[in-house]
Amino acid sequence: MANLAVDLKEKSTSKTKINVQVSKAFKIWISALTVAFLIGGYFIVERFITGLAATNLSSITPWGAWIAFYIFFVGLSAGSFLLSTLIYVFGMEEYERVGKAALFTAIVCMIVALTFVLMDLGRPERLLNAIIYWNVTSPLGWEVHFYLVYIALLMVELYIAMREDLVRAAKKNTMQGFVAKLLTFKNSTINAATKKRDHMWMKVLGTVGIPIAIFGVHGGTGTIFALVKARPAWNTALFPIIFVVSAMVSGTALLLAMYVIKKKVQKQEIDKNMVVSLAKLMVGFLIIDLGLQFYEYLTGWYGLEAEHLDTLGTMMASEKAWSFWIVQMFLGAVVPITLVFWKKTSENINALLTAAVLIVIGIIGVRFNIVVPPLVVPVFHELPWGNYAPTIKEWMVSVGVVAMGLLIYSFGELLLPIEETSDEVSHNGK
Amino acid sequence: MGLFSNEKKVDYDKIVDKMVPDAKKEMDESQYDTELGLNMARDARKVISGKLKIEDFHKVYSSSLTKEFGNYYASADGPDIRKGDGPKWAMVIDLKKCVGCDTCTVSCKAENRTPPGISYNVVMESLEGEFPNIKAVNLPRPCMQCDKPACAQVCPTRATYKLENGIVAIDNDRCIGCRYCIVACPYGARSFDFGESYEQEMQGANDVTSPEYGVERGNREKGKTPIGTVRKCSFCFHRLQRGEEPACVETCIGDARFFGDISDPNSVVSKLAASPRAFRLKEELGTHPNVIYLR
Ligand code: SF4
Ligand code: SF4
Repeated sequence: MANLAVDLKEKSTSKTKINVQVSKAFKIWISALTVAFLIGGYFIVERFITGLAATNLSSITPWGAWIAFYIFFVGLSAGSFLLSTLIYVFGMEEYERVGKAALFTAIVCMIVALTFVLMDLGRPERLLNAIIYWNVTSPLGWEVHFYLVYIALLMVELYIAMREDLVRAAKKNTMQGFVAKLLTFKNSTINAATKKRDHMWMKVLGTVGIPIAIFGVHGGTGTIFALVKARPAWNTALFPIIFVVSAMVSGTALLLAMYVIKKKVQKQEIDKNMVVSLAKLMVGFLIIDLGLQFYEYLTGWYGLEAEHLDTLGTMMASEKAWSFWIVQMFLGAVVPITLVFWKKTSENINALLTAAVLIVIGIIGVRFNIVVPPLVVPVFHELPWGNYAPTIKEWMVSVGVVAMGLLIYSFGELLLPIEETSDEVSHNGK
Repeated sequence: MGLFSNEKKVDYDKIVDKMVPDAKKEMDESQYDTELGLNMARDARKVISGKLKIEDFHKVYSSSLTKEFGNYYASADGPDIRKGDGPKWAMVIDLKKCVGCDTCTVSCKAENRTPPGISYNVVMESLEGEFPNIKAVNLPRPCMQCDKPACAQVCPTRATYKLENGIVAIDNDRCIGCRYCIVACPYGARSFDFGESYEQEMQGANDVTSPEYGVERGNREKGKTPIGTVRKCSFCFHRLQRGEEPACVETCIGDARFFGDISDPNSVVSKLAASPRAFRLKEELGTHPNVIYLR
């Protein structure tokens, strides 16, 4: 999408005049992202030249920050997709305003997630081998296939969700209109029949997507870990479920935060009722997530299995424990729950925004604590223990990849009718 | 009866025979051919004691069995002969003989030219018991060449696979370097090749080629060698091809390691593997290692 935007800008100057109206805030935002992307890009190039030696990874701790970010973004994607199904499948129209944004976020998050995987591979140029030589007993082999099906499904669904707006936009002489013309067919129309058809397809695709997202994409990502019997801390049946629930937590929080921030920047009115109710939903998911985690840790601790205890010890009582207690538990759970339930803050948009942002950060902590501690503990007590913390280079590459995702999202929003305008809300999706 | 008689030598077999039902009587009661049953039992004993080949046994009886059991017999599998007649390699390590000298680790590094940070074979050491009654236990750990390898199970590209000779191999030209196998191996037997080398310490270290799975990969440089992929012990595949034992077995100063064909019941490893001292690491995981320890 981003490339498309650049092309268009160049062409538009020479051919017909197209109104490009972007706000100043948007320009600053894009320039900041471009700078971040270029700095990150330098480290990405360096990483491809030097290989994984640029990281702090070792054969004891072979997975680190990039894998944590990968599962974080898959989670965000699955979470925001599932949120969109609440709207399009279960007809919860109160969240309508974030519906298309949810679908588009889900796509961008998958692109970011897969880019992180690409960064992490020892031989990235052979990525396709996982498709060509699919090993059916490998959970990772299955995941790669699921991701592709899922991305395709998301794209089709987003297209249908936007179809009416595209047809409408195609008549305008703006950049959006230009893109819309490219994406729609000449004889595309809006009438009662197409409305019904679009709505039906949204429902069908959403319904098909739910099991794919739950069992395939994110439950499946949890399965990558849960099936590793060599690591007792991952090897539990609850693991994939926790993945799905925490995906809902982070997906809802992200959409809430994005919606509020965007409206604030554009100085538009914020649908307060929706924000409050979305925040309640988010914290509801978070509480379920915490309950599941509690049982997960309790079972591991009570089982007295040496590696499992070592893992819990590494997570909760080593010099790395700050990421568990401060990021995951305090910032990511205690503070947001208080903000949403405390009378003084429960109706305050800024407080709820803070809660949402903190939850997203907290889930990053959760992802790191899933990946790293079980891999710091060696498979035999006598083998050397791992000692992993991401290098500056790993962080910079991550910044670059995330900036890329945000750029794609921003240009997408600029060129596609993703934003809900108030008059559509009433009839779309019903 | 014999137990209470005055006979000097007790013939235990006879006692057992008394307990065994009379074959002829039993067969007469069944709906099947008595004579066929008795003859087969007699010849089956010959097969077990090695006086008769299993193939001949099948030749003699197949037609009468088909007559007797019809489709049931015909649908059963034929003679159970192992696919491929090559050896299936296994290693036995006698922990009572291991002195923890790390010679195997060093000779393995020299043999396989492993870069810094990669040792296919390590000796883990631990102290057991309470002071003053302590003993040191040395536990050498090569790749277990599992029969049900967790590493091959999870590899998304089938780059890790099990050879018929029992060795678990990595196709370094296919591996994408996802490192899932390292995470999944319960024995910590795999390492990722980060591309480091001994260049500073040893001039020309990169010019020496590594004999990974007998494939000539040339000098250690990007693209051709296993850099960016996963490496592990291969039971010195290249040495086996020349009819030699793995380097660790050959250099072990305590003669603690034995190597051979576990599918041959008369080989040293088979006999040692049958000893009551024999055990495997993390047997509960079901990986069924082909490295067997004697406690
Ligand atoms: S010991 Fe590990 S690397 Fe070796 S075959 Fe077994 S699972 Fe694979
Ligand atoms: S690192 Fe290579 S051998 Fe290991 S699982 Fe991935 S593709 Fe397979």
